[in-house]
Amino acid sequence: MNSLSLKELNATIKSVLSKGLAPSYWVVAEISELRLNPTGHCYLELVEKQGQQVLAKTKATIWANTYSNLSLWFEKMTGSQLKPGMKILCNAAVQYHEVFGMSLNIRDIDASFTIGEKAANRQKTINQLTEDGVLTMNKELAVNVVLQNIAIISSTTAAGYEDFMQQLNNNAYGYHYQTRLYEAVMQGNTSAQSITDALHRIHEDDIDYDAIVVIRGGGSQIDLDSYDSYDLATHIAQFPVPILTGIGHERDESIADMVAHLSMKTPTAVAEFLIGTSADYERNLNECFQKINVMANQEIAMHQQNLARLTSQLTLSSKSLVLTKRHVFSALDTQLQRAVKYQLHDQSQLLNLLKHSLDILSPENILKRGYSMTTSNGQLIKKSSKLKKGDPLITETFDHIILSTVTEQKTKS
Amino acid sequence: MTKQKFDYQSALEEIQAIVAEIEEGTPDVDQLAKKVKRAASLLKECQAKLKDTEATLDDILQNLDA
Repeated sequence: MNSLSLKELNATIKSVLSKGLAPSYWVVAEISELRLNPTGHCYLELVEKQGQQVLAKTKATIWANTYSNLSLWFEKMTGSQLKPGMKILCNAAVQYHEVFGMSLNIRDIDASFTIGEKAANRQKTINQLTEDGVLTMNKELAVNVVLQNIAIISSTTAAGYEDFMQQLNNNAYGYHYQTRLYEAVMQGNTSAQSITDALHRIHEDDIDYDAIVVIRGGGSQIDLDSYDSYDLATHIAQFPVPILTGIGHERDESIADMVAHLSMKTPTAVAEFLIGTSADYERNLNECFQKINVMANQEIAMHQQNLARLTSQLTLSSKSLVLTKRHVFSALDTQLQRAVKYQLHDQSQLLNLLKHSLDILSPENILKRGYSMTTSNGQLIKKSSKLKKGDPLITETFDHIILSTVTEQKTKS
Repeated sequence: MTKQKFDYQSALEEIQAIVAEIEEGTPDVDQLAKKVKRAASLLKECQAKLKDTEATLDDILQNLDA
């Protein structure tokens, strides 16, 4: 019976393989394990799965001289490091070693495949969030006019956190903000879970925050895949407080940015936004004060004019009324004077007439006209006078007094 | 003595009514002096009220600026 040593068998396998296989193949596979050894060689395990079932599995290596350039380029192109769970399209040569067995020597990786794969995953996540009906939930939250009570999710070691605090606390307006930091790991594989935990802590604290700020900056621009994770996105989207992100992406916005209430490029931009919101509010208030001031002054001026007009109206009209009354009075006065004058005139005429009549009847005038008047013992002799013989008589004419004695008296027949 | 609370608007209306009455020449002389006196006193009160309001407003608005 012919037999081969193991080495001979393995040499045969190696020879068959090298003859029967092309120098290299483009292979689609998922990285299931990845480790670097100290010399810089990269050892991987590649699998093909259907659900959880492994359909194929093989070891692979990327030698240090290839890996150092390839990994950097790959990160630059895709924004991700090579890591377990990632699907890649790689150019690999099948190698067989008598001791180490079969493995794939990866010479090149097609970044655009991974980019497409990432985009497809991203779209899948977005579709799922849409289907869940949560995609725009955080965006639709009503926001307070002024955002002053702020919960921050970040890491004290993140440069972005310091920038944010500095910007916020040294704002030119002197606004004061209440901030509270909820520490989280902001990059790497654990960041999605860590940020989600921070959200849970905020929720449990039950503080009336105006907004939650998720900031990260100054760190690596790669490995931000966790911000595209469904778990983080669904928590952000459904959080009952508006979330503002400043994750410091240079690439397209992440899904976390997309579902957040508002996303900005940097932590500093978030701080500026908060300050701007307060400043807008203050400006608005000032404009209102101005309007009130102007309107109040206008109102007072109008009333002052009104009062001045009423004052002059009152003065004029009352004076004019007094004048009218005076005219009426003076007309009456004239009328009265005239009436009195007439009356007096009449009376004086009557008096004159009477006086004239009296004058005519006065004894002196009678004497003047040639009549005489005779008295006896101081008594005027009238019809009823009783005279005796011898009674003395005094007869007065206009210019004489005649003394005589009664000698006889007879009755006139 | 409790002074009735001054009402600017009713005071104004009363003054206007008196002026209108005087312009129409309705009041007799006995009434005229009384009415003018009343109107003048109301006007004075209105002016005082307005001045007071203005000062208060200035005060409030200035404090807002501070």
